[in-house]
Amino acid sequence: MWQQIIAFSIIIIFIFRLSILRKNNKIKSNEFNFWIIFWCLAAIPVLFLIQIDIILFNLGFSGGGINFLLYLAILFLFYLIFKLRLKIVNLEAKLTKLIREIALDSNKKDNNKEDNNK
Amino acid sequence: MKMICIIPAHNEEENIQKTVQEAKKYIDTVLVVNDGSKDKTKELSKKTDAIVINHTINRGQGSALETGNEYARRNNFDLVIHFDADGQFLAKEIPEIIEPLKNGYDVSFGSRFLGKKSKMPWIKKHIIMRIGKAINYVFLGVKTTDPQSGFRAMNRKALEKIKIENDGMAHCSEILAKTHKENLLFKEVPITVIYNEFGQSFGSGFKTLKDLIIHKINK
Repeated sequence: MWQQIIAFSIIIIFIFRLSILRKNNKIKSNEFNFWIIFWCLAAIPVLFLIQIDIILFNLGFSGGGINFLLYLAILFLFYLIFKLRLKIVNLEAKLTKLIREIALDSNKKDNNKEDNNK
Repeated sequence: MKMICIIPAHNEEENIQKTVQEAKKYIDTVLVVNDGSKDKTKELSKKTDAIVINHTINRGQGSALETGNEYARRNNFDLVIHFDADGQFLAKEIPEIIEPLKNGYDVSFGSRFLGKKSKMPWIKKHIIMRIGKAINYVFLGVKTTDPQSGFRAMNRKALEKIKIENDGMAHCSEILAKTHKENLLFKEVPITVIYNEFGQSFGSGFKTLKDLIIHKINK
């Protein structure tokens, strides 16, 4: 019971924080929607914590349902970090291409200027 | 044969002018790619006879070399030489690194382990370089005596086939791997390296390995 109350309190705090961010236009509506759906989905297993406990017990696991949810959350976080890392690497590659084109282009322009001055 | 010496430079105000002057003795066209330096590298480079290309933001040595390579491609150079700005390499060895390309090879790599004496720190020679060699062999299937040499030359054919994608120091392994993958004919040439307090550390070696792995996953 207490586990559920704590988990729900955390979810409500995050949703409240999200609403403030949205109200102050700090996040876009699609990002707001994504995180609202995410937290609502996270609330579902918390709601059925006792049933998850029973399923895990029948499967032969000794840990409680809340532990299982924490493991899942950590796995999800690792996945998110990995995806973010790949995204950053892609953005870095694009930035390099942009910097390269600007560098080569400005060199070409400098050369054209010099030719015109001659 | 139209040749160009590409020198990537990041915060090299103390060495860049001397390095360009030395390189100029052996090659007509020298290109400095100023890689977002915070010091006077760009201004001092412009005072030399070198062509100067400026990265407004620091992107890493690999990216600066690729910018130089792209310049060479667009301006129809037949041969490029990669040379460090920090004064570690000897410009008088440029003719030696070019020599194999005149004899039918596509790429030549400078090697610090082929006879010429370089006062390489013990830890680098016996630990870092051995790990580097093992990584190159396991990850890329390439066997060379020097896994991380920055002194190299390549002909037009190699220039067209090798596009450097690693912005950081992992470009050395990447060039070796692409040379191998594209079946380019390569030769290692003995070179001398003058060591100073900077250069690639154990930590940056790990960063290189991390860059290689991320690049491999991201492909």
